[in-house]
Amino acid sequence: MTTPSPAALLDADRVTIAEYRAALQAWLDEHHAELAPRYSPPGTLDEHVAQMQRVKSLLFDAGWMRYGWPERVGGLGGSPMLRTELGASIAARDLTDPGLYSLIEVLAPTLIEFSPPALAAKVVPRLLSGAEMWCQGFSEPGTGSDLSSLACQARPDGDAATASAWIINGQKVWTSLAQYADRCVLLTRTGPPDSRHRGITAFFVDMDSPGISVAPLEMINGMREFAEVFFDEVVVPADRMLGELHGGWAVAMSILPYERSSCFWQRIAYLYRRLQLLVDIAPDDDRTAEVVGDAFVQLHALRARSRATQHRLADGATLGAETSIDKLLVATAEQSIYDAARRLLPGVVEMDDGVIGATWRSEYLYSRAATIYGGTAEVQRNIIARRLLDLGDDG
Amino acid sequence: MEDAERALLRSTVEDAIADASASTDDRAAVDEALVRIGWREMLCAEPRDAIEIVFGALGRTNATATVLDDVLAAGLGAQPRPDLAVLLPWFAGWGPPGSLDGDRVHLRGIASVRAATAAELLVVCAAGVELRTVTVPRTVADVGAVYGVDPDGGLRLVRGEVPAADAVPLATATWDAAVACGRRAVARQIAGADRAMLDLARAHALDRVQFGRPVAGFQAVRHRLADSLVAVEALEASVCAAWDESSPDTAAVAKAIAGRTNRTVTAHCQQVLAGIGFTTDHPFHRYLKRTMALEGVFGSADEIVVDVGRRLVAARSVPTLIEL
Repeated sequence: MTTPSPAALLDADRVTIAEYRAALQAWLDEHHAELAPRYSPPGTLDEHVAQMQRVKSLLFDAGWMRYGWPERVGGLGGSPMLRTELGASIAARDLTDPGLYSLIEVLAPTLIEFSPPALAAKVVPRLLSGAEMWCQGFSEPGTGSDLSSLACQARPDGDAATASAWIINGQKVWTSLAQYADRCVLLTRTGPPDSRHRGITAFFVDMDSPGISVAPLEMINGMREFAEVFFDEVVVPADRMLGELHGGWAVAMSILPYERSSCFWQRIAYLYRRLQLLVDIAPDDDRTAEVVGDAFVQLHALRARSRATQHRLADGATLGAETSIDKLLVATAEQSIYDAARRLLPGVVEMDDGVIGATWRSEYLYSRAATIYGGTAEVQRNIIARRLLDLGDDG
Repeated sequence: MEDAERALLRSTVEDAIADASASTDDRAAVDEALVRIGWREMLCAEPRDAIEIVFGALGRTNATATVLDDVLAAGLGAQPRPDLAVLLPWFAGWGPPGSLDGDRVHLRGIASVRAATAAELLVVCAAGVELRTVTVPRTVADVGAVYGVDPDGGLRLVRGEVPAADAVPLATATWDAAVACGRRAVARQIAGADRAMLDLARAHALDRVQFGRPVAGFQAVRHRLADSLVAVEALEASVCAAWDESSPDTAAVAKAIAGRTNRTVTAHCQQVLAGIGFTTDHPFHRYLKRTMALEGVFGSADEIVVDVGRRLVAARSVPTLIEL
């Protein structure tokens, strides 16, 4: 008989976040050697992905990965804040890249809410345990900030009401990890071309379906994290529709609360870790004190805001436009930390080819996207002006 | 305190402040109104709610009161009373405002308007590495007073030297906790003022027509107001977090965030208010001047940021001060 892991001793419905955190930290300390990355930094994307799947597998087997998820998809139940804490804890230890890991939070809740229960029960545990990778097919070449203009078409094989399959044609872009993905949560146009958010339908598509081709794009830091995905007469069974026909906008919007709460909390943990790494090597002088102090204060303000958001979500609030505030704070803080690194480590980001230079350089360059992805900073400000400040329509 | 109870208290406080501010020019009117509705009892029974509600309202209304003296007195273990003023640290700093030198006390601090009428002034003094409190006659507080940018706010710089009365030992942790409480109060007051300035700028943007439409329709204006709201909301969350996880560090950082936020909000709102915000006809200037003065109370953002940064670098450690 094997010894029950500490995770199995916690009652998911009764455990407090603090108790969960303490038990989790102890377990992570104890299993550090198994969990630690096998590669030396900065590592390749292949290595990052393999590391993440390995860590998820270990966490799932030990039970940690199942807290905060419903029992009907292989979880142990309890507050979703438990899984937020888990994601933050492993980001704080640099065990996984939070950008890759956060796809769980973006995609699993969508399946749980919108897919037939049997499908969710089958596939969600495979995502959580690292057996599968999924991707999110939203953006298109002509559809960036303006998501409701998307054009990738799905047409019914026969009558829409009775069709047993849908046929997809079109293109997606900026699809993170598409080349590794087994499945894709895909938004398609099922209404007339000008039907905006009223004519969009979501599907759960197997990435090995005939007619799908993936062309990774090289990012500014040399990694190929995202890709173009082409759909040429791809047949998707009708029971893979997520939500209602023409109800894809609701599916897309359902992601926002998770993307803007738990994912951000995980990224914040990662940013504290980045500031720690900077403080480890920065010179001990007045300029460092000022630059580090500024970054720390900014990070703290973001953390305080995000903490309040996590609690509102856990208390049953519906998150909406006000999360644009969280989004702007996270983007600004992220760029500030890497700006601080450039100031305090002159020549390291720019001209050092060693491990430290290569890592800071890669991350610095990646951080420039923080005000672009997930809705640009300008779009967030427009939302805040119209929805939160009630300034009316813009000119 | 329940949410409904809190909302009722908030409106009671706001009404009391509004009535007191409207009816008289007497500087003590707001203090007296707050005392009538039970400020001192609330401060002892429910310090968080009392401070959050009263200082938030003072910030929003720009009313002048001396309740910070009570917050400090209570924090230092003295019974808050209207004839006891407390000397605050010198502008931008947070060290004790007094220093004990033999049988003399050197005073260097900020005093509220209460110091002009109170019987006594409570002064925390450095004595070597230890702290003492001494109570001195308030008359010293009038010596060499400098009122600065916001004379209506009643804060003035005080410098002087008086004979040392009985000095009572004070634990450093008590002083740190009192400063932390003062920082949370002032940060909340600044947040209230920031909200008020944003409301003024928003109203002006919707009202002011140029090029045939309200200036609120211009994206450049909208984005300034949006950035102001982002900053204010983050500040408010930081103040709440400083109460939830009460410590000298969370309070210090909240006060620094108040300073940074105020800089953002005043710059954006004044630009949106444009010409009218540059006059004394419009109320904006009162908030600007009040918050310029409050920035220096219990540590300016710049001083706190450098201090926090030094400590992080010295320890080579970046702690997360708040958890889920």
